Parts: sequence; C-alpha cells; structure tokens
Amino acid sequence: MPTDLSRRDWLKTIPATAATAAAAPATPGRRGGKPALQIATNCEMCFWRCGALAKIQDGQVTRIEGNPSHPLTQGRLCARGNAGHQTLYDPDRLKTPQIRSGARGEGRFRDVSWTEALDFLAARMTELKQKYGPESVAYFPHGVGSGFFGTLMKAFGSPNSAEPAFAQCRGPRDVGYALTFGRGVGSPEPLDLEDAKCIVLIGSHLGENVFTSQITQFADGMARGSKLIVVDPRFSTAAAKADHWLPIRPGTDIALLLAWMHVIINENLEDKAYLAEYASGLTELRAHLRDFTPEWASKETELPAGQIRETARLMAAAKPAVVVHPGRHVSWYGDDTQRARAMAILTALLGAWGRKGGILLPTPIARGSFKLPPFPHSARGRADGAGELYPLASEELGVTNGLVDATLTGKPYPLKGWIVYGQNVLESIPQREKTMAAIDKLDLLVVVDILPVEQTRYADLLLPESTYLERYDAPHIVETARRPFIAVRQPAVEPQHDSRPGWWIAKQMATRLGLEAWFPWQTPDDHLAKLIEPMGITLSELKARGAMAFPGRPYIEDRLPADGPLFPTESGKIELFSQNLKDLGHAPIPTYTPPSDPPAGWFRLLYGRAPVHSFARTENNALLNGLMSENALWLNAKAAHDLSIRDGDRVTLENSDGHASLPILVRTTSGIRHDCAYMAHGFGQQAPGLHRANNRGASDTSLISRVAVDPIMGGTGMRVNFIRIKPEVVS
Amino acid sequence: MARYAMVTDLTRCVGCQACTAACNAEWNVPAGHARTRVLPTGATGTFPNLRAAFYVAQCNHCDEPPCVKPCPSGATFQADNGIVQVDPALCIGCGFCVDACPYESRYLNPETKKVDKCDFCNGRLEKGQQPACVTTCTAHAKYFGDLEDTAGPIYQLVYGKSARRIESADVAVGPNVYYLGRRNEPALIAEVFPPRQPRMPAAAEFWSRLVKPLALTMVGATFLGQAIAFFHQLQTGEKHSDD
Repeated sequence: MPTDLSRRDWLKTIPATAATAAAAPATPGRRGGKPALQIATNCEMCFWRCGALAKIQDGQVTRIEGNPSHPLTQGRLCARGNAGHQTLYDPDRLKTPQIRSGARGEGRFRDVSWTEALDFLAARMTELKQKYGPESVAYFPHGVGSGFFGTLMKAFGSPNSAEPAFAQCRGPRDVGYALTFGRGVGSPEPLDLEDAKCIVLIGSHLGENVFTSQITQFADGMARGSKLIVVDPRFSTAAAKADHWLPIRPGTDIALLLAWMHVIINENLEDKAYLAEYASGLTELRAHLRDFTPEWASKETELPAGQIRETARLMAAAKPAVVVHPGRHVSWYGDDTQRARAMAILTALLGAWGRKGGILLPTPIARGSFKLPPFPHSARGRADGAGELYPLASEELGVTNGLVDATLTGKPYPLKGWIVYGQNVLESIPQREKTMAAIDKLDLLVVVDILPVEQTRYADLLLPESTYLERYDAPHIVETARRPFIAVRQPAVEPQHDSRPGWWIAKQMATRLGLEAWFPWQTPDDHLAKLIEPMGITLSELKARGAMAFPGRPYIEDRLPADGPLFPTESGKIELFSQNLKDLGHAPIPTYTPPSDPPAGWFRLLYGRAPVHSFARTENNALLNGLMSENALWLNAKAAHDLSIRDGDRVTLENSDGHASLPILVRTTSGIRHDCAYMAHGFGQQAPGLHRANNRGASDTSLISRVAVDPIMGGTGMRVNFIRIKPEVVS
Repeated sequence: MARYAMVTDLTRCVGCQACTAACNAEWNVPAGHARTRVLPTGATGTFPNLRAAFYVAQCNHCDEPPCVKPCPSGATFQADNGIVQVDPALCIGCGFCVDACPYESRYLNPETKKVDKCDFCNGRLEKGQQPACVTTCTAHAKYFGDLEDTAGPIYQLVYGKSARRIESADVAVGPNVYYLGRRNEPALIAEVFPPRQPRMPAAAEFWSRLVKPLALTMVGATFLGQAIAFFHQLQTGEKHSDD
C-alpha cells in the first residue's frame, strides 16, 4: 500500500465534495461557462473561523464569500476572509517536504518525498524517545488543524505541548475568570453585545481587532443605544465611538477597576439580589475596596476622579446588561490574572454573568467519540511548569516560554526535539534571543507550515501543509455562542503542490510509530460521523450547509440540570474572594502594583492588531499586502515635535536592552498619550522566502526582550519594554 | 427606472476594509488600487477631546457625472439606472476621467491599461445579488438599493434618517452615495476629504468638443480594420514569429 496520498486519491475525494456542493445553492460563474461550485467550510485566516463559501471554477477557488447559513457570522467575512484564496495560491508557499542539507540556519535544504520525510521523522522521534524519553519531544501547535498532531504527541508519550494562545494571549483571562466564576471565557467570547446597555472595553481594540460577528454585535449594540466606555492610552477606532474615552496611564488598569468597584459598592449600586444568591466574599471585598477612592485612582491613572465616578455610575445604571469585555490578548504587565480577576469581580457586582446583555453561559453539545486507549502517563510530568510551578496554568494549552526555558536549561529534564505546527515561534514568543538559543540546543526541529516563515530556515525537516481550503480539519464546535453550533472544515480544492493536510500527516506518523490505536478512523468523514452521532444531525446536511446550530440556554433562567452547576467553582458560588489563590500564596482579591514610567525621551511599547492581518501569518497574502504592506509607529504629535520627528519620517527603534528594529514609518497623532508608542504586530519579518512581507515594517517582538511573568499562570506580560527613536548614526 | 444609491453608516463602520478586500477579490483589482477605499480621518481636536471617523470612498454615480464629458472615446457613460460605467472595449486609457472625478474614485488599471471604478457591482445586480461590499460588511454599515422605491430601505435611510452626501459649495454634482452618522461623522469626513474641483485639462475640453466624434470614427475604423484583418487571416492562416 502506498504511504503517500497521491493526486489521484485526492481527485477521488473531490466528486463526493462536489456532490455535496451541488446540494448547496450554486451560483453561475461570473466568468461564464460552467456553473461554479461552492463548498461550505470555515475560514482559518484567523481563529474566529467564520462561515465561508469557496466558489470554484475550473478547479480553482476564484472567490470566497461569507456563508449566510453560519449561525454566528451570518454571511459576513472580514478582509482576511475575503482574501483566503490568495494564501492558497501564494507562489511563495512551501511546496514539497525538505530535509536540511546545510548547517542549521544556513537555509539549504533538499527536496524529499513524503515517504522519506515521514520515515526520517519517525526515526528521529524514536531515537529521541530511546535516548531521552518521549517527553523530550515538545509540540508547539496553533490553529484548528493542530488537534490530530496533538493526539499523536500524547500517544507518543509527551505531555509537553504549548501554544501561544495561553501564555502570550488569553491565558490570564481564562484563569482569572475561572477562579471567579468557575469557568473561563472561551472563544468566541460569549458576549451579549447586541443586548448590552453599556459596553466597557479595557484595551480591547474592536474594529482594529476584527472578529466579524463580534463587530456586527458591537455595531448592533451601539445602534440600539448602548453606552460605550473605552479605556485605552490610544484613541482607538472604538475610542472614537465612545461616550467616554479614558486615556489611561499604561499599566494602571487595576487601579481604575478597584476605584470603579469602590464607587459601585460605596454608593450601594451593586446587584444585591444576584450577589446574595450567587456570590461569596462580598464582606472581604467591601473591606478591601475601602481606600481605593476615585481620587486615589486618579493619581495613578491620570484620569479625572469625576470621570471615574461618572463611568462607574453609568455601568451601574445599565446593570445587569453590561458587557465588561474580558479582552483577548491580555498578557500585558505580569499581573494580568489579577486584572482579569478584577474585571470578573466587576462583572459579578453588576450581576452580568449569565444575564441578558451581559456574558452568555455556554450550552454543552454532546459529542460522540471513539474509544481510545488511555494516553501513556509520564512520570516526569510536564517540563513547562503548567500544573506544577503554575498549578493554575492550563495543561491543555501549556506555557510556551516554559518549554523554551526547559530547552535552554535542561531542567526539569532535557527537551531535544520541537515539532512546530502552524505557529511562528520567533514571532509568537517574546525574547527571541532566548528562543533562538533554545533552537540551537535542539537535536530536531520540525516545522509544519504553509509558508517559509523565518523559523523554517532553522528546521531540520520542513513539512508543507495544505491550507484550510485544501483540507479537512476537526469541526469547529462552539458552545459559547447564543446558539451553540458545529461547523465543518472541508476542502474546496485538492492540495496544491506536494502539500498534505495535517490530519493525514498525523495519521501517517501514527502508523510509523505504532500508535494506530489512537487513530481508529479511516477518513476524516468517519471521524466527523462519529463525532456528530449524538447531535441528531446528518453528515450530508452538515456538509452541505457548512454549519448547524442547536438551541441555546445562555441565561441563568434557561439552565437545565444537565448543563451542570451554574458556577463550577470549589464553593459553587462566584468567588469574589479567592481562597484558592490565597492558599497558593497569591492575593485573594486583586491588588494594584504601580508600573514604572519610561525615562524622558523613551516610550512604552504598545502593540495590537490591524484589521487586515492576523498575527504574522497574512502579511505575504497578495491582496492583504496590497491593503497594508507595512506597519507604522503611532507617536504623540507633541512628543514627536519635541524630538524633531516629523510625520512620515522613517526611523529605527531601539529598546532598553539595545535591540533595534527595522525601519518604520512614523505617524504623529494627538490620538495617543505622550508616554507610549504603538504599532501593529506581525510586521518586520526577516524571511527572504516571503517576497512581499520580507523586511517590511518593524517587529514589536524584536523589541520585546523583557517580560513580566505572571506568577499565577506563567504567562509573559509584554508591555514592559521601553523604546526610543534610535539617534541617526552620522557616518 | 431605478435610481441606485448606496448608504454607509459611519457610526457602525469600524474601518476594517472588508469592503475593499471583497471588492478587490470580486473584480480582480490589482494590488495598490481599489474601487472602494477606507480612509481614516485620523484624530482631530485637542487631546483628550478628539474625533475620528473612516471615509468609505467610492464612485458616487453622480447625477451630473463630471467624468463623462471629458472621455474622448465614449467609454464612460451613465446608464438609465444612474450607474456610471466604463466600457473597457472603448476605453483608451487616457485618464482624463480619472482627473475629472471629484472623489478620486477612478484608477487606471496598470494591467489592462483601462480605467476601472465602482459600478455598484452591476454584474452582481444582474444576478439579483447585492454589491460585494454590502454583503460582506462586518458592521452591517452599508446599504444599497433603489432610491425611487419609497418602501425600500434606501429611501427610508436617505430621507427618513437625513443621510448626507459629500459635497461642497464648489462641487455639487448630485452624488448618489450617502452617509449616516449619529456623531456627525459625515460632516467630519466632508471637512477632511472634501470633493476636489473636477480637473478638466484643456486637452480634455479639446477632445471632448472637437475630437470625440473623430475618435469614435477612428474606433469604428479600427473595428473595420480588425474585421478585414480577421477575414484575411482566415484565408491565409496564422503567421508564427520566432520569439
């Protein structure tokens, strides 16, 4: 039996897909000729996974439009979603498996067959397992396709898997909310924005951070008259729509949150009935908040005390229909779990968790599963500290920087192999010098990716993955929406070049490593059919429509006993005071630590998202690059003037440790405080194989050489670096 | 006959450029160009009392389109439903219409050497679909329809909600793209991005008044010439060059 999936095999799968597509309403191709097919799938240009319809003509995806049948995104796609086929047809794609032939980092590879590539990988993994134990191979996944490889790694015997979604992104939020309400926020964030009467954004830059349905609901909520409070040192897109913009001194958010809660408690504005029924620790909270007056907070935050008071009252007047947005990328200052706790406690005081216009409760979806053998237990435990050094860190998502540290120090035991799937470790993990040094120590670096991003240069083995438009993935099952749903990922066209889908690579590796028992299905359809068994839907309908929704029970009054406890904390109550944190040696109620200010002439580096790009993944996409080919530095106009910097200047930046950036364009604006500077993340990539993205703009990651590690969950606070405009070197 | 119009609600718009991307994908617009653009005003005012909005710019399908007259070949025309269009078969790529547009909403396509612009997705309308920018808009900020349908959403938005157009004292040519905004965003974008005076090069006037009939004759002559060549080739067969 051939181990490689040939073109012919793939072509065989297409008629089945086409038959499904024919069931969907087909639109005539606008270029005339045969009617176009359309395949319903979900987008992977970011991780909101909007419903998409890929239009196919003459075997090519010619256009991607939103899928109106998708229960959450209802036919809308952002710029990235509209541009997905340009990644599929990006001429810079990794086209064939490659094995390093030169020195590591030299960038010399030889093309190999999939058989040779996978045999090579199996031999190297087995060798590492024999020499150092299976735990010595760590996995760095990201994205929906990573799950099958995750199963492979667990079956192989390595518990060491970590994605940046936790320690570099939303980990502090989910830990903080879980400590308070018994469950994390999850993704998509279950926010009842369209019914909210007051929306509070703390550093959440909706509009620049675009998740289609969240934007739709945000706009709907505002159109229905919701008030908007935006806390951001920068006059963001959202700030321009706000009733109150609070240009806070960076790093002082907890002071503001404590003062808001002080006002609400002090003026008897909290939701008393809700708290009496569901919460514990109000007495301790009340005592804790006594001295955190708006006047005190004003000194820290540089916001007027009157505005702090007024905005607290505005929230209270709207209760319980208040969405205090829990944020998404929240690893900022190292006390991020405590800031998330403060936001969760504020949400509780407003009675908004599980209430209309507040935070929605998840509705469980029953799913079928194959009976798998138990995964081998590792006596050595995890190497990244999740569950041990950081007892509250997610063992499912892991701590990436913990794996980097373990690789560097060999403690608690040596990590000798990395398998990187769909993440760009040099851009996603801060302190890239450390990441580079860790890579130097590896016996094996495998990169499964679509494009020749910077890290591919250091790989021993490169496996070209198919894009989301060419592959099946596990379905997207969302319990955190008003109507929970399942959405499928299915190929629109056969894999281009010599690429392969992640599921196929994982299954092939399982066969080679003797781990077939964990992959008891033959095709992705078998896997999907098993999964949906208890859902009362058919595979053919699901694949034709792309997504199917179920009745939701998002509010407290809707809940059924089968949905489990309302607040699955240890006490069964909302824990305003956290005994759990206290027992672990942390503050049971959030406390405030003042940040240090940048010296004169220096700015705190802030970063965020651009609406047309995702992380460092899309900058080489022809369409999106055409919309934004480089980032710019937002600099306060007066501060720039004092430094004789003009709008449109191109400068290089330097951080406190002497790390310099590539040149970046300056945009002077009155829309940012004088003490910080801002840029969109994802630019300044140094990857010559990316012809459009290479050397365009500056990388914030290259300037993040310091991190503040969150003592509760191990995440890396990254807004603790100061930069200055590098003085011109006169030669 | 319909009178098509677009309404963009700038309070809803978050400037995400989904409209631009959908349009570029729909019409294969080359990188660096666009039929519809999203332009930030940037922050105006004094910190912290600032304002900002996004100007979603596109062809306004004006009642008195200044781009039609300077077109020497007759490629630019206005259909009865108000949609201003470019017939690529007639366009000679001279760019006079690009200069004439007060909204800078035309561009010369470097690949086809023809002028291109928003045509309200005429090709989609013919299939009963809405324009690509409307169907994808993440904020549901764009509305399209017939201004003369008094029961339709566009009529309601334009007349019921006092949508306004981007005009100035100098330039008022009856645009059919309207803007809404509860925070007075339309006034802000009109201030930051006023329509420019149509630039009518002397040459354009010359073309328009004197040469257009001649040009049309030449286009006709060219067509005749091609027809002759075609029949000639049918008789003689194709000649292959060696490069």
